[in-house]
Amino acid sequence: MSASSHATLTSAWFGLIGLMLVLYVVTDGFDLGIGILSLVTREEHDRSLMMHSIGHVWDANETWLVVLGGALFGAFPAAYALLLSTLYIPVMAMIAGLILRGAAIEFRHPAQFKRAWDIAFGAGSLIAALAQGVILGRVITGLLPGLASGIFVALTALGVASGYALLGATYLVKKTTGRVEQAARNYALGAAATTIAAAILLTAGTRVISPIAQSRWNDPAVFQLLLVLGAISASALAAVVWAVLAHHSHAPFRAAVLLFISSFAGLALSLFPDLVPGRLSLAEAASSQSTLVFMMVGIGILMPIMMGYNFYQYFVFRGKMQLQAH
Amino acid sequence: MAVNDIVNLSRSQFAMTAIFHILWPILTISLSAFLVLVEALWVRTRNLLYYRHARFWAKLLVLNFVVGVVSGIPMEFQFGTNWAGFSRYAGEFVGNILGFEGTMAFMLEAGFIGVMLYGWGRVPRGVHLFATSMVAFGSSLSAFWIMVANSWMQTPAGVTVVNGRLVVTDYMAAIFNPDMVWGVAHMWVGAMETGAFVIAGISAFYLYRRRHAEFFLRSFKLALMALLVIAPLQIWLGDSSGFDVFHNQPAKGAAIEGYWHTNPPGTGAAWALLAWPDQTQQKNDWALELPNMLSVLGTHSLTGQVTGLADIPRADQPPMVPLLFYAFRLMAGIGVWFMALAFWSAWIWRKTRGSLNSMLQQRKLLLAWVLSIPLPYIAIESGWVVREVGRQPWVVYGMLRTRDAATLLPAGTVAASMTMFAVFYAVLVTTFAVFAYKWLKQGPDLTALPPEFSAPLKLKLG
Repeated sequence: MSASSHATLTSAWFGLIGLMLVLYVVTDGFDLGIGILSLVTREEHDRSLMMHSIGHVWDANETWLVVLGGALFGAFPAAYALLLSTLYIPVMAMIAGLILRGAAIEFRHPAQFKRAWDIAFGAGSLIAALAQGVILGRVITGLLPGLASGIFVALTALGVASGYALLGATYLVKKTTGRVEQAARNYALGAAATTIAAAILLTAGTRVISPIAQSRWNDPAVFQLLLVLGAISASALAAVVWAVLAHHSHAPFRAAVLLFISSFAGLALSLFPDLVPGRLSLAEAASSQSTLVFMMVGIGILMPIMMGYNFYQYFVFRGKMQLQAH
Repeated sequence: MAVNDIVNLSRSQFAMTAIFHILWPILTISLSAFLVLVEALWVRTRNLLYYRHARFWAKLLVLNFVVGVVSGIPMEFQFGTNWAGFSRYAGEFVGNILGFEGTMAFMLEAGFIGVMLYGWGRVPRGVHLFATSMVAFGSSLSAFWIMVANSWMQTPAGVTVVNGRLVVTDYMAAIFNPDMVWGVAHMWVGAMETGAFVIAGISAFYLYRRRHAEFFLRSFKLALMALLVIAPLQIWLGDSSGFDVFHNQPAKGAAIEGYWHTNPPGTGAAWALLAWPDQTQQKNDWALELPNMLSVLGTHSLTGQVTGLADIPRADQPPMVPLLFYAFRLMAGIGVWFMALAFWSAWIWRKTRGSLNSMLQQRKLLLAWVLSIPLPYIAIESGWVVREVGRQPWVVYGMLRTRDAATLLPAGTVAASMTMFAVFYAVLVTTFAVFAYKWLKQGPDLTALPPEFSAPLKLKLG
């Protein structure tokens, strides 16, 4: 096998896994964000509506994480082993959050005492979001211990939770009416403010903390691309704020998704060709050529099909939810 | 803490999470297939009875499905968290297969379950039936890929070791490894048998109570008809995979049967119906034996040679031989009982021409069906204990030992996560039981009408 075709395959898998990560983060991001926002929603009726808005899609959204996990396990077994075993506690916390959240969505409906499930929904979503933020922060800091890394990791956790809240709020703007929609517009503005604060601090922090990112950013081609992505992110965030204030119903969510995509593209660009900066490169972590090809044939063909029927599910349940009195 | 203790903690956590998780998918696989059947019958015959069956059993499916989904998340991630050595060593194949499972099967199930549960009236009938079929197909396909991965761990093939980790040299050989067809078939048919017994048992419960008797006679009959094929088929599959175990994993075969000393050529191996295997002394304390029977079971000949456990190095013997011995007998005994119950019921059915009144008179028979509901679960758990404990001390049979596969985590951390799972599972199973009881008490809606297509999405809050 030639080294260059293996390198191409490895990069292709990095891209494909990046796409799976974006699909997970955007879709389950709004689910988890709605969970977080339900913690500050006082009326039981409103919380019920918020939970119903994701009732038909949360499971498929969460499944992107399972798809991502399987793909990482197969294409980069060494990274899968290193990350999950080193990040045992945040991974278990994330699993705990996801169990609470999933059980709450399905069990709240038939339950008599809804309050307990509401708490499980909100707390589970928050725990999962924070744990995912911790995992992201630990990956960016190359799994290094220390105070500076600790602060950075805490910031990523808050950043991910606010980003999810932004996605959740803009999704609610799209799906709901009346009081819930109005509250969602306010949440969206608040979450936009905390997200931008976290984004600025994290960008500066990455520059200070990570020698790998520093050297990547010193590459003029990378730096120019990052500038473009930064400009897209900034415009997307401005578009979110504008669309929320201008009472658009679909545009805020679309702009928030764009913000996430450009941020993750920037992150991927800063890490490449490492998977865990300073610890593990893509080449070291990758499976052999035959596995990468075999998996690419199977999963590569299925990606558009999966995205297609997921899109169909959104299409079937399109539009704002209508309530019937009971 | 010794390395062994940490390995055993991770093993216990995996065992607990796996034993809990498998309870749910087996019913999802079979109940979703049953929903396809009744929904297709409704679309074809326009008989509303089938529509009402579809709506009634779907409620049980939701409750069951969600516990399966949330308890499934820890399964995938534990390979990396607790078994980093295994992941690094075998990730090329096992990770690849889990990736296939996620993309081909799990996402298919998840991508259509929303339409199946909430799409009534939002999509045309044919599309709804398609969505239900995709959920059923996805869950069965999921079982297929998981069993491909597991059977490969039992009888690894198509790989070679390069720099201390596996590289796949032949995908067809790895996927179609010696145990694959039997493993997949035995598990899938076991799942179908579980669903058939749950449906028949719950229907028998209503018949026993004389509630909605006509409605439930239909589902009872459908499940019974399926079991007349499934129950004998499963016994044949079990026997055939047992035969292969003696060939592929002699230590497991010998441990299951409490068989210690290889029979000399020309003599038959005796089979212990009951015994108490004592691993320290490498013999049975006592045994009730049938001469030559094990040669017949393991080699299909009267004097075929069967390797005794004492002739296998102690370090390569599976642990807990009495557990293997009795878990196997429990599973096989339940399998035989299932066939007997199905045939007995069919005979009565024939004798009474399946009339409702005469079925309602069969109190003992109906009660036997109700009491049999837990048995398929016990049989499947026993089967998995035999399969997985019997593979020890290997995680990849003959290639990677379990103790070399584990992550050396702090014991307290693993104990903490295990406690967390135990608490969650207790809550989940209690909640499921409460809601399933409510569902059972409420019964089917015998006046439900299919909603007109293109009705706007209405939500009932509260």
